[in-house]
Amino acid sequence: MTASSQTQTQKIHDVSSKGYLNPIWAARADKLQSATGLLLGFFIIMHLHFESSILISKDAFYHVAHFLEGSMFSDNGQGFPVTTKFVSAFMLIVVLVHALFALRRFPAQIQQWRALRSQMTIMPHQDTKIWFWQLITGFLLFFLAPVHLFDMITNPEIGPHLSAERVYHQDVWMLYVLLLPAVVIHAMFGLYRVAIKWGITTKRMAALKLAKVMVVYLMIIGIASLLTYIFIGQSLELPVTPFVPS
Amino acid sequence: MTSPRTISFEIFRYDPQDPNDKPKMVTYEITEAPGMTVFIALNLLREQQDPSLQFDFVCRAGICGSCAMVINGKPTLACRTLTANFPDGKIKLMPLPGFELIGDLSVNTGKFMRELAERLQLWLQPDANDIDIHRLESPMDPAEAAKLYELERCVECGVCVSACATKQMKDSFVGAVGMMKIARFEMDSRDTRSAEDFYHVIGNQDGVFGCMTLLGCQDACPKDLPHMQQIAYLRRKMAQTIVSC
Amino acid sequence: MKIIYTDSLVVGAGLAGLRVAIASKERGLDTVVLSLIPAKRSHSAAAQGGMQASLGNTVKGMGDDEDVHFQDTVKGSDWGCDQDVARMFAHCAPKAVRELANWGVPWSRITAGDRQVVVNAEKVTITEAEKAHGLINARDFGGTKKWRTCYTADGTGHSLLYAVDNKAIEMDIPVHERIEALSLIHDGKRCHGVIARCLVTGELRAYIGKSTTIATGGYGRIYEVSTNAIICEGIGQALALDTGVATLGNMEAVQFHPTAIVPVGILTTEGCRGDGGLLRDKDGHRFMPDYEPEKKELASRDVVSRRMTEHMRKGKGVDSPYGPHLWLDITLLGRKHVETNLREVKEICENFLGIDPAKDWIPVRPTQHYSMGGIRTNATGESPQLAGLFSVGEAACWDMHGFNRLGGNSLAETVVGGMIIGKYVADYCEKNTLEINTQVIDNSMSKLQAEIDDLLVGDGTENVFEIKLAMQRIMMDYVGIFRNGIELEKAITELKDLLQRSKNIGLKCKKRHANPELVEALRVPRMLRVALTVACGANARTESRGAHAREDYPQRNDKEWLNRTLSTWPNENALEPTLSYEQLDVMKMELPPGYRGYGNDNAVAHPDTAKRETQIADILAELGDDADRYDKQAAIMPFDLPETLRPRNERLSDTIAVSGEK
Repeated sequence: MTASSQTQTQKIHDVSSKGYLNPIWAARADKLQSATGLLLGFFIIMHLHFESSILISKDAFYHVAHFLEGSMFSDNGQGFPVTTKFVSAFMLIVVLVHALFALRRFPAQIQQWRALRSQMTIMPHQDTKIWFWQLITGFLLFFLAPVHLFDMITNPEIGPHLSAERVYHQDVWMLYVLLLPAVVIHAMFGLYRVAIKWGITTKRMAALKLAKVMVVYLMIIGIASLLTYIFIGQSLELPVTPFVPS
Repeated sequence: MTSPRTISFEIFRYDPQDPNDKPKMVTYEITEAPGMTVFIALNLLREQQDPSLQFDFVCRAGICGSCAMVINGKPTLACRTLTANFPDGKIKLMPLPGFELIGDLSVNTGKFMRELAERLQLWLQPDANDIDIHRLESPMDPAEAAKLYELERCVECGVCVSACATKQMKDSFVGAVGMMKIARFEMDSRDTRSAEDFYHVIGNQDGVFGCMTLLGCQDACPKDLPHMQQIAYLRRKMAQTIVSC
Repeated sequence: MKIIYTDSLVVGAGLAGLRVAIASKERGLDTVVLSLIPAKRSHSAAAQGGMQASLGNTVKGMGDDEDVHFQDTVKGSDWGCDQDVARMFAHCAPKAVRELANWGVPWSRITAGDRQVVVNAEKVTITEAEKAHGLINARDFGGTKKWRTCYTADGTGHSLLYAVDNKAIEMDIPVHERIEALSLIHDGKRCHGVIARCLVTGELRAYIGKSTTIATGGYGRIYEVSTNAIICEGIGQALALDTGVATLGNMEAVQFHPTAIVPVGILTTEGCRGDGGLLRDKDGHRFMPDYEPEKKELASRDVVSRRMTEHMRKGKGVDSPYGPHLWLDITLLGRKHVETNLREVKEICENFLGIDPAKDWIPVRPTQHYSMGGIRTNATGESPQLAGLFSVGEAACWDMHGFNRLGGNSLAETVVGGMIIGKYVADYCEKNTLEINTQVIDNSMSKLQAEIDDLLVGDGTENVFEIKLAMQRIMMDYVGIFRNGIELEKAITELKDLLQRSKNIGLKCKKRHANPELVEALRVPRMLRVALTVACGANARTESRGAHAREDYPQRNDKEWLNRTLSTWPNENALEPTLSYEQLDVMKMELPPGYRGYGNDNAVAHPDTAKRETQIADILAELGDDADRYDKQAAIMPFDLPETLRPRNERLSDTIAVSGEK
């Protein structure tokens, strides 16, 4: 029987049954996910640039790191490495909030996963595929990002030699090799999605292109920096002495 | 003129009312004619090869929205899809996913759309006191009328629903068609519903805050409706709405 | 046996059917609508250009009123219409437009000040009044004195259908989709409902109602190429015809639209020409002014279609593998206009022709488009023969179109007719009780069941698709724009032969449920009977009137043929219908027969015409000078309407004096 008359009226949706006691949380969740995502995305762009100052010189990186640690406020011009602790702790909270709200989007049941996979097979579609990779990278970052942030909380010293030691001698490069592509892909396409989702731009194709260019660009400077740290690490003798600018 | 080519149709066949039947793909061959559309080809197949083949066409002019199906991986209107668009001469037809299957390529979009309209109250709700059909009509900004028509061009073909991975993963999600229609009534100065009224209908995880902006809707819509812009508009509007409850 | 009871049963969920359903439900009646398809997919959605209503808001519509709309409609009909009905219609059209605005239709609105339009291939600036800003706009259409066609870009039917169906959903009116009504339940005097088949499950059901309204649209698909949706197969007309009692009116009155694209026959709206588009021949020459110096491209459709055919017969058509065609040129309207006001046309050109109409000419030729004929009703929409049987919209011969319908009057008829007849349907339901005679229901059900059994288990050998195509070709070849006795005789003979063969259809697919071949097999004999009423009516009518053009009888003959053809099929085994005629009374006409103002002026006058003209002059003289147009009209030809629809229509010209064409 197909008569539509038989479909009875379940007129307005009962929002409270959707996991939020107050319907305003539906809007809040979406806003918070986007806002934290935006913050994290821009943070990553800055982070990778600061990181890449090593490509210029050890001196440059040294000054960037100390500047960010608040060197101008310290008497000895060395800054406060504890800043890194606080920033990392704060970012960890932001990541957790972001993950908490993003989890709503994850296919929680196997049927949902199957529906997604079959959708992508029957009707291949670029933006769906991009989102799929965001899903995968998001899942990875759920584990990788806290590891990195914990590391920075417990071990906040940053400097051309200290960072290189971490990368090379403490084998953290293995983490970064996974973390870098995951975070770059997730963040750039995430920013693209936030932009079109809230109508920040209507030039979708341009935004997508920009996101792709950014992915490539950030990967290049990220990999180059990582290699640089590895080379520096290789050249250092244990125990490492912190770099002193000339 | 070169001799006409033979094209092959790989068609999903299944009669859910026949307990012995199982879903399968069946291949048919047909001689192509100039200007042939999937509509023409399917009718020829039914008339000449298999009269049990089920599919839906009404206007055959891209106006009524009856004939959406998945054609070589793209959900679209079959009536206006030219076979000449496929250089290798192979065309694979699947019914639209996400709808009740009636049989073969025929799905029940009508039932879906009616339920959606009832659920979201997709009709104009004007001020009842303001209606006198014998008097001069109330004026409306010409630009507003033009804009409303742009949004009204939806033919409820169901393509946006099928093209949406979010919808496929979550059955209770309203999909683009529902949101586009809400946006249309929200923009209509004649409608008396407040932003808060709309929020209660669409401001939830099954509505505008459940949309992940995958844009399958926008990319597949045969009427080129501005889904991306409209849903973004609705999202901003709903996110700004102060809800009392 | 499944029986579903209701008060107001409506068959067909297009605009007309839904409007009647709404009118019934408004009065608290239980209402059920049956439809082959989801309501919003109905063919009403395909109407592009607009609906006529004499709002007179635009400066080019100033001075318009019910009188002018009525006169245009009567002239358009070539005096074949029922003038009472045309009056009822013209009076209620503005009400329907305004009502639809309240239901959500985003009518295109007027912008005050100067705007450029194309008139007679020239750019003209017109100035809209300040007071008109934001009121409902109108465009020019064929056969009208004023710009009267209200529109939403070129998707007017779509907007209307969506608004009206949304209203029906709001009112919780059930639409039973994928249900096909196949016979009427009746006792020879009253109609009790229909026997219908579910196209998905194959189940047969009896729907019993106090009133049964048939609103199933036209019968265009008895022709091979038609602008109509593929579901417009005349099954509604067959429902009435097969009772043997109810009559069909003017079935030979079939309209050919001048501009359908070649070869697929999809319509490009009359709005193309209304907005200033031109017709050109193979030399690029604009030929219509040669034939129709006054109205040019905007003469009525029957005239333009014939002129085009004449011109192609002179060898001026463009040769194509699908036969000759002409060009529709809308490039002079400019890209912006095409992309906003004619965007469906643009989409159709892109998808089906691969051309850009803002820069390329569109290949067009006249194509079957509209059925003026249909189930004969009186002015209240009820069959004169079967009580409780109503019909409305294209399905009906309510008869406001006579032998030619004006563009923009069909969309208008669906909602205006639905509005008026809906009220009469509701009245009928309130005054009458549900009569349930199980014997009658049983008989109808068993008869249809036997027909289906015969097809599924019988030993027929004929292929239903072949018979259908043969019928469609006969109609194309012999019952087209120009007709003659020899070809019509041939058509009748061949159609009768096909009808005989259709009694021996054999099916390859034996399923009882969801069986497209069975659906065809049930429809084709019904379509053949309808096609025979068209061919026989055309053969018998030895004159030319409106869309019915006889090469062997080129004159409009008011003396002998000022009447309406009625077809019945009293003997179900017969191979042709029984024809009779209903005279039109000149002495009751508000507008006695005359020259239309376009087309050939060759009518044989009716003896009463002069008499009636004198009588009208006398009536007017008696009224005195202070009589207004309403008094005059009422004195010449009073007409009735449901009370709530009687108030006069307010217009902009009632409140301000506007002038100003630059």
